[in-house]
Amino acid sequence: MADKDLEVVAVAVTKNTHKNRDLAQLLTAASCALIGGISPSVNAADSWDVDSAFLLYSESDGRVSAAEPVISATKNYDEETKLTFKIAADTLTGASPNGATPSDHVQTFTSPSGKGSYDAAAGEQPLDDTFKDTRIALSTNWSAPIDRDWAYGVGGYLSKEHDYQSLGVNGSLSRYLNQKNTTLTLGLNLSSDTVNPEGGVPTGLVQVPLNNSDSEFTQRTDSDNKSLVDAVFGITQIINRKTIMQFNYSLSTSSGYLTDPYKIISVIDDNAGTNFGGNFQSGSRDLYLYEKRPDSRLKQSIYWQTKYQFDNDDILDVSYRYMFDDWGINSHTIDAKYRIHFDNQYLEPQLRWYTQSKADFYHRYLNSSDYTNADFASADYRLGDLDTYTLGLKYGYKFADETEFYTRFSVYHQESSGDKGYGKLTSQELYPGLDAAMLIVGYKF
Amino acid sequence: MKFIEALIIDSSFNPSNHPNPSLWQENKHSYKIQFECMASNCSILIECEQTQLAKNAAKKAIIEAWRIEHKFSRYQANNTFSEIHSKTDITQILDQETAQLMVFANHAYHASEGLFDITSGILRKAWKFDGSDNLPQQSVINELLTNVGWTKLGWSPNNPTELKLPSGMELDFGGIGKEYAVDKMLSICRIILSKTSAAFLINCGGDLACNGRRLNGESWKVGIESINDQEKSKHIVALSSGALATSGDSRRFLFKDGIRYSHVLNPITGLAMIDAPRSVTVAAPTCINAGIISTLALLQGSDAESFLASLDMPYWLSN
Repeated sequence: MADKDLEVVAVAVTKNTHKNRDLAQLLTAASCALIGGISPSVNAADSWDVDSAFLLYSESDGRVSAAEPVISATKNYDEETKLTFKIAADTLTGASPNGATPSDHVQTFTSPSGKGSYDAAAGEQPLDDTFKDTRIALSTNWSAPIDRDWAYGVGGYLSKEHDYQSLGVNGSLSRYLNQKNTTLTLGLNLSSDTVNPEGGVPTGLVQVPLNNSDSEFTQRTDSDNKSLVDAVFGITQIINRKTIMQFNYSLSTSSGYLTDPYKIISVIDDNAGTNFGGNFQSGSRDLYLYEKRPDSRLKQSIYWQTKYQFDNDDILDVSYRYMFDDWGINSHTIDAKYRIHFDNQYLEPQLRWYTQSKADFYHRYLNSSDYTNADFASADYRLGDLDTYTLGLKYGYKFADETEFYTRFSVYHQESSGDKGYGKLTSQELYPGLDAAMLIVGYKF
Repeated sequence: MKFIEALIIDSSFNPSNHPNPSLWQENKHSYKIQFECMASNCSILIECEQTQLAKNAAKKAIIEAWRIEHKFSRYQANNTFSEIHSKTDITQILDQETAQLMVFANHAYHASEGLFDITSGILRKAWKFDGSDNLPQQSVINELLTNVGWTKLGWSPNNPTELKLPSGMELDFGGIGKEYAVDKMLSICRIILSKTSAAFLINCGGDLACNGRRLNGESWKVGIESINDQEKSKHIVALSSGALATSGDSRRFLFKDGIRYSHVLNPITGLAMIDAPRSVTVAAPTCINAGIISTLALLQGSDAESFLASLDMPYWLSN
């Protein structure tokens, strides 16, 4: 009985809705007839916006250089519906620190493939110069409104290097409140990655063999996997016509093979004697172990951003991020940009500071007396105590046809710090700084 | 914003003796022309590299707005409005523009099932919305209602230029005049500025229309004034095409026994709406379209929101 009534009400409401829509269409038609055939879609911006850019990155001492062309194309169906494709390719060449400490003698390292070796001179940072990679990444995203109050987005991501593949999907749901002055967003990102390192997947915390005839090499598997789940909850609030603020909380969990297969760690002799603080010998070779990280990581971060537009149209954009994880790392990032407009040109200086505290299992080296007790260890400077500074300047020129040329130059400085070692090791530079420069040139049309 | 000059408009195009419009420069190629029309502060924003063309477009548009204002004004002698009302009970010939407005009014009357009726203007004689508690006598309303009703006109859509107006009845184009003027001004700017790259927005006291995005590709940011002036709260609407119109009772209402009587009158009952939103803003392809929908929404009373929600047209309400 009650169901029946409900049905009748539902039909009545539907009829009303149809009637009202008919009414609206009729009045729109009558209005157009009166005003003289103004097309309702005067500005259906049904066109492609393309942003093409080229990025050059170079570290001091020619360690690593990268070149990356990026093209992204967005098709705007209307104010809120759009489809974006992005393709990026980068080529990295150069040498990267392998994790071992410098030493008072020439050090010889087995190359990742086990087919050769490379040396580091006495007192030199051990760098793996076999490091060269080309990466291609493709991503696509679709976003559209569901109704007045809701919108959604879905996307996919694919990237490929010769030893790494990543496949991801993401989705987001947004709810508008207060006449769209407030937006709540929930985003979810899943990715599944495969690592197939050169020479196979090494066994963590085991001595790096002399070459690939060693049983450590022959028993290796070719590849391993890792998976990633990210969830982001965000609030965007329009404070007034000049100020917009965003607050995000994100939770990210990764599991599987999280180790860097190419990174190693030195074992230092802590027995009193002539070699105190020198490389520990095992099998009459300096002892290096493959690094090993836990197979799961839970990261959480909070992010706050404010954009403010001044009366002269200049824009200040300030953001802060705090990240902490169950590896013991926590970090702070402060980023500030200020955009100054001159007619159809703009200048945007940028300042960024990042500081990080080390992971619990980060060690610049292991000690000969207790290295066998370690469950996890990595000497990767990216997991150590770290401060980085970025200083950038962006310049843009908008042409009359609404296309835009832009370029951004930035310098990057990195400082690591930590335990200075003992004995012979104290005379080595364990935490070299890093300087890099980056240039981006782009054109939007 | 920098004042440049007054735009001199020949008095033959200024029948209501408005002050000359003023031209302001906001940026290198961005102008604002301010003028008065239909008791509202109006402005035209033009982004265009050719100053002369921009000035010319603004002048022609303002002349058009003043022409429409004068033609349908209830307070002028020797205009179309007075001429129509001087010929009652006989068949008269309407000009093309008036006939087209009658066609539109006819559509609006039928689509709204009688809620939008341009013959209802005379109900104002009973209702004085001065913020007081003086409600009219029902007998006065009933008397006036005998002269209200679109179907009582001697007019048919088959011969839209012929009208037989019963004496005592009145045609009030004021309810759509401002929005109509905004649309006509936009058309004129469109034609004059068609040869160049230009972006423009016409605003007559909150009823507005634009030709598309601004030259930098951004949409126009339009603040909708809340009717509750105390709070000064504003919605910022990003308009990239089409028009907006707002209907509301602002400071025009009666207040008695805790009930607020809006100046929006139901032409069927002759009564003031008491449970309508304070203001309704609607976005539509044309200003007159936005205006008629926002007016109809107010006439739905407490159902205004559900009515708007069923239309697939963007809207903003304030209670």
